[in-house]
Amino acid sequence: MKLRRILVPAQMTGRELGRRGFALGLLTALPLAFYGASSNTGSNAVITGGIAMAFSIAGASIFVALTARPVDQRLVLAGYRPYELLLGRLLLLEIFGVAVAAVFSVVMVFGTGPPHPWLLAAGVGLVALTSVPFGLAVGALSPHELEGVLVLIGVVGVQLTLQSTQPIARILPFWGAQRLLQHSVDGTVSIGAAVPSGLAYAAALFIAAAYIMHRRAPSVTFPRAR
Amino acid sequence: MPAAVSASSTAERLRPRETDPDRDNDRQLEASGISKWFGRRLVLDEVSLSVEAGEAVAIIGENGAGKSTLLRICAGLIPADRGQVRVSGRVGFCPQEPGLFDLLSADEHLALFAPALGLSRAKAIEDGHALLAEFAFPVAEYSQTRHLSGGARQKLNLALALLGGAGVLLLDEPYQGFDHGAYVSFWEHVARWKADGMGVVVVTHLLADVALVDRVVELTIPRAAAVGRS
Repeated sequence: MKLRRILVPAQMTGRELGRRGFALGLLTALPLAFYGASSNTGSNAVITGGIAMAFSIAGASIFVALTARPVDQRLVLAGYRPYELLLGRLLLLEIFGVAVAAVFSVVMVFGTGPPHPWLLAAGVGLVALTSVPFGLAVGALSPHELEGVLVLIGVVGVQLTLQSTQPIARILPFWGAQRLLQHSVDGTVSIGAAVPSGLAYAAALFIAAAYIMHRRAPSVTFPRAR
Repeated sequence: MPAAVSASSTAERLRPRETDPDRDNDRQLEASGISKWFGRRLVLDEVSLSVEAGEAVAIIGENGAGKSTLLRICAGLIPADRGQVRVSGRVGFCPQEPGLFDLLSADEHLALFAPALGLSRAKAIEDGHALLAEFAFPVAEYSQTRHLSGGARQKLNLALALLGGAGVLLLDEPYQGFDHGAYVSFWEHVARWKADGMGVVVVTHLLADVALVDRVVELTIPRAAAVGRS
């Protein structure tokens, strides 16, 4: 595998995404709006704002996956392997996610002043890390943008309304990040399983996205004509 | 003039196995016994198609006869429910709807396809410009593809199918949106691709095109489609 076969799709994904400045601005403003609106609720604002960041990063990932779908078959027919395209997009989107997470961490650390600011940064980082494969998997499964966005709103919305101690919260993708964010402000929950849970979810979602993309790719192996 | 026009209920049947081994070696594409269902609708029923090196074949037929589906199966983009496809060399596929990124330019598309084709970025852009210039595409102007006319998008679509060379070209109504000059130029290029030894398959609705190919394959809607899958 040549690194160029991953870096070039990453570069072109970055260019395409970067040219949607207005949409990116809206996506980034969304979690800030959640954080700002709940800032009078104390520690809850950090959890709400941090988890709502998934709207931005997973939303961008869904968009990238759905925009690329009509072209992907041609790219694979030309010689790319599906996982090379997916890894390129993952790389670019994770860079975007980490950048958004870094800015958002600074805003919330200075805005709320949590006792464990590094755990807040880790929680926001875990949201970013999980959001990209989540968005790529939803984008791979959804027939259109509307369905993808509805799934995103549903999953993140339910995660936002639940306490991390509730059993159903544990099966949602951002539970690990939710625990880290909660512990960063009140230190009331254990965080032993938080990072492994988030990483496992991210890995599973990426594998799901890769599997779906592989199934969609041109899969006919041609024997040579006589 | 076309050598044969099939009016069978499905498509041209495969000719009897050639006995000349050299002739067999020239076969670029061979699809045999292809059947395809979409849900309960039979789209292709035991269709066969073969293309030799240096041969141009037109696929014609009414709407819904499965022309694009047959081409996509031959390209490997969708699987057939029955039948087998054999190709020799790389397949260059030009879909009916240009599969392009709206916010990338022509050069960025060429650069994106370069690693897949084993070309350097500079070589892909150089070769791509040469192909696009032959169809009077405005290569000197930077433009995202969303700002291009339908004809210019289709020219880029065609150039991407040709980039890197191909053993067989599968072109699904490749000149949609072309002006007359570009249309004439396209058929001049078909003659050149044939001379270079490529097999060329063109899906078309234009009756004038059948005089420009070596063979015509006509698809009709399978009778079983009216009954549905049992």
